[in-house]
Amino acid sequence: MTFWKRLKYLLPSYRRAQERDMSEELQSLAAIAEAGELGNLTRVAEEARAVWGWTWLDQLYRDMQYAFRSMRRNIGFTATAALSLALGIGANTAIFSLMDALMLRWLPVRNPQELVQVKLRSGSRVEIPGESFSNAIVAALAEQKEIFTNACGFSGAVFDVGPSGSIIRVPGAWVTGAYYETLGLSPALGRLLEPADDRPGAPLVAVISYGYWERQFASNRDVIGLSITVDNHPVIIVGVSPRGFQGANVGAVADIAMATAALPSLEPAFAGLLGPGNFWLRVLARPQRGVSAGQAQAHLSTVWPEITERVISKGWPAARRRAMAESVFVLSPGGTGYTYLREQFERPLMILMAVTALVLLIACANVASLLLARATSRQREISVRLAIGAGRGRIIRQLLTESMLLSVLGAALGVCLAWLTSRFLVDTLSGAGFYNDEPIVFDLTPNWHILGFASALAMANGILFGLAPALHTTALGGSRVIKDDTRVTRSRSGLLSSLVTAQVALALLLLVGAGLFVRTLQNLLNVDPGFRRDGVLVVNLDGQREGYRGARLSEFYSTLLNRVRQLPGVESASISSHTPLSGSTWSEAAIPKGQSLPQRDNAIFIAVGPRFFATLQTPLLSGRDFDERDQGAPNVAIVSQAFAARHFPNQSPVGQYLSATVTSPPSDLQIVGVVKDVATSSLRLRPYPTVYVSYFQRASGNDALAIRAAGSLSQTAAAIRQQLQPSFPTSVLEVHALTDQVERTLVQERLMRSLTGGFGVLGLALACVGLYGLLGYSVVRRTREIGIRMALGAQQSGVQWMIVGRALRLLILGAALGVPAAWVVSRWLQAMLFGLTPTDPSVIASAVLLLVMAGMLAAYFPARRATRVDPVTALRAE
Amino acid sequence: MDLLQGTLDMLVLRTLILAPLHGYGIAKAIRNNSGEALDIEFGSLYPALKRLELKGWIASKWEISEYNRRVKLYRLTPAGRKQLRREHSEWADFVSAVARIMGPVPEERKQ
Repeated sequence: MTFWKRLKYLLPSYRRAQERDMSEELQSLAAIAEAGELGNLTRVAEEARAVWGWTWLDQLYRDMQYAFRSMRRNIGFTATAALSLALGIGANTAIFSLMDALMLRWLPVRNPQELVQVKLRSGSRVEIPGESFSNAIVAALAEQKEIFTNACGFSGAVFDVGPSGSIIRVPGAWVTGAYYETLGLSPALGRLLEPADDRPGAPLVAVISYGYWERQFASNRDVIGLSITVDNHPVIIVGVSPRGFQGANVGAVADIAMATAALPSLEPAFAGLLGPGNFWLRVLARPQRGVSAGQAQAHLSTVWPEITERVISKGWPAARRRAMAESVFVLSPGGTGYTYLREQFERPLMILMAVTALVLLIACANVASLLLARATSRQREISVRLAIGAGRGRIIRQLLTESMLLSVLGAALGVCLAWLTSRFLVDTLSGAGFYNDEPIVFDLTPNWHILGFASALAMANGILFGLAPALHTTALGGSRVIKDDTRVTRSRSGLLSSLVTAQVALALLLLVGAGLFVRTLQNLLNVDPGFRRDGVLVVNLDGQREGYRGARLSEFYSTLLNRVRQLPGVESASISSHTPLSGSTWSEAAIPKGQSLPQRDNAIFIAVGPRFFATLQTPLLSGRDFDERDQGAPNVAIVSQAFAARHFPNQSPVGQYLSATVTSPPSDLQIVGVVKDVATSSLRLRPYPTVYVSYFQRASGNDALAIRAAGSLSQTAAAIRQQLQPSFPTSVLEVHALTDQVERTLVQERLMRSLTGGFGVLGLALACVGLYGLLGYSVVRRTREIGIRMALGAQQSGVQWMIVGRALRLLILGAALGVPAAWVVSRWLQAMLFGLTPTDPSVIASAVLLLVMAGMLAAYFPARRATRVDPVTALRAE
Repeated sequence: MDLLQGTLDMLVLRTLILAPLHGYGIAKAIRNNSGEALDIEFGSLYPALKRLELKGWIASKWEISEYNRRVKLYRLTPAGRKQLRREHSEWADFVSAVARIMGPVPEERKQ
């Protein structure tokens, strides 16, 4: 009740009316009472106002007004401090918003915190697919009703939607029947997919996303029951998923969701995915109420050996089956969904977060030294106020208001900066889309997470770096400072020097980190991948989907190749099952004839057509290339240098025979040539022993053309598309450059290079601003001293050296602290580096050099200003 | 004489039970009724009035006084009357408790 009445006093009009009323009343009373009997009426009024409350608000308002005024008067100071903070907070917020989108945000589903992601961890060294499961395992997990109310599997997909000739690729997902039920979603329209939709032979139905419904169907409610053509098959839309839900794959929008049972009809080439040997679904489960992760894991380990009997492919080698049965389930929080990006970028983002924290520290040191310098110039004002009776707490509060205001200003600018730059971050990440060619979609609009993060940073900063100068200035009480105590200024400039030294050390740390990542990328770009990447175009094809099988498929591809070879601008063209660094590989067991085949795959296999090596410009070291002869028997192979070195040391493998599982029944392959090693899965790894088999002895269906073009890549790409598309009426052909494919494997390195480089430069710039500020300040403080020196005959160069020498001392001290720190910290980067150690001396040396050069540049201007001091003016100022 | 904490509010309420008064009148009434023993500073009284008014125990209104002046008169509200009753009984308890302890002080015996 009282509180509500008090609230009324927040209304300016009400408050004014009350003020008027009160002064009238006091006047009327003063007229009645004897003179002086009522005491100090101003004070009485002030105490009455305190009864209304909001005195603090009043004071805050007045402090803010004061702060605004003084900020406007010192526009240079304000701009430097706010900009420093904006850069520091902006950098942090940008990285944090990415981290938030990638790792922290809940899926828009019912009680996301309950969901768990099911993973498998293997104790042995046999490779076990950790996060993916086969349909059979997902079904078996869903049956564990003692622990799970529901469990579902899902996998990203791209659907070709529309009738032949006008096909659009739409990102989507394959989901198991329990998907929507597990997530606890209810439809925006129609119904969602149900277990009945996921039975073999069920009608082909799809659920579309709310966004797709809005964009594609203009939110028309008649969409339910509509038939659309998906992968050349009629599919009925049965429902629209709720607004905001884009699928459980974070970063990849799923506009169309279909049940896994529909996969064999839609994409016959991938029908095998439903088999027991294929691990392709991520699993989310919702535990029963009261069942802890530990209990669920214990339950799963008791039932798992029995389940493996049923669900593991009998075709697997015994060792692998055993390893599978011995693996243990791990349940991790699943409410944030799944993305392969998380695994790839968790570490880089952590490192970037640490890097931006260092940038912020440097920025904060700038603000602290600015505030400190300013506090010094206001020392007299504050001392006078203390002397005439202002409370220390009250003055500290006022100084804090100023630094908070500055922080808030910086944070607001920083959030804007972060928003602008996060676009660039997402674009960079999008390049990492190994999985399919769909762009990564993140909503990075500042949400309350991000705003909260930024304001927490600003608060902490404002209090921390505002409090120190505020305490410092008010510590000495009135009288001593009014007498201009020189000891104060000395201790303060000592504090300033140590702040700048810390900045220099931190900047060096950042520069060393940046140097390491710059060199890592350089080293990777300089790796000889065994082929020439520029000038090559790649087209992925799926002939099976167009209905070609076996010999007809080979024939189909042959004619395609001939047609492409005749196009203008095409130098050579070939076909292969896998192109280098495409993200997928095929492995089999292969061994010189006479030795027994190993249990595990020991070689990468690639099927290539004639002139493949010529097209990629991979040197043939000995023997011959595949040619038109190699279509039927005898089976031939070309091996890589690494394979030859391992299995045929000190002899020529050409003419020898291999035993391999690649042909069925297993038969021998005659080696006809040796080629240089090619980076197949990563530029970082040493080339793996590789066996090339003749493409036309083993056509698979899902393949790629590689084309070397002479002229403009984009023109040739357009010509190729135009030539080939009519032969693929049910899909959309995409022609991309091999360089793009290579670039995709370097996204993380490029991101780290650009960001650590950018932040390194930013940190250096901020530290230089700090150094410049300190030196400039000291020139101003020492004007009289410099004037006397010059009057006594000091040379300009001597004065200059006085300032530069101070800068050098600070830089060297900072470097002396920074180098060992870098030496210790950079070890954490080891795993991400390539071709150099974390303590690479040349990187550290160039970082120090860059730092000293930049520092000298920052010292130049104050030093020049020092030489311009006119002795006469300087002395007259006293 | 110094007032005990919170006593001022009670005195104001008790004073107003007789008749509505303006701020200066309240101070004078307390002084007169206490036989000049309690001289309340106006600087403490006036904020107390504002506090009581905010709590809803007294209400104020501009009126014309007997000397034909415009003054703001404070009167007791029903809530204030209830509060006064409560404070009075607490006060009585307090006084009797203190009285029980505070018997006459024996004279110091001279050596």
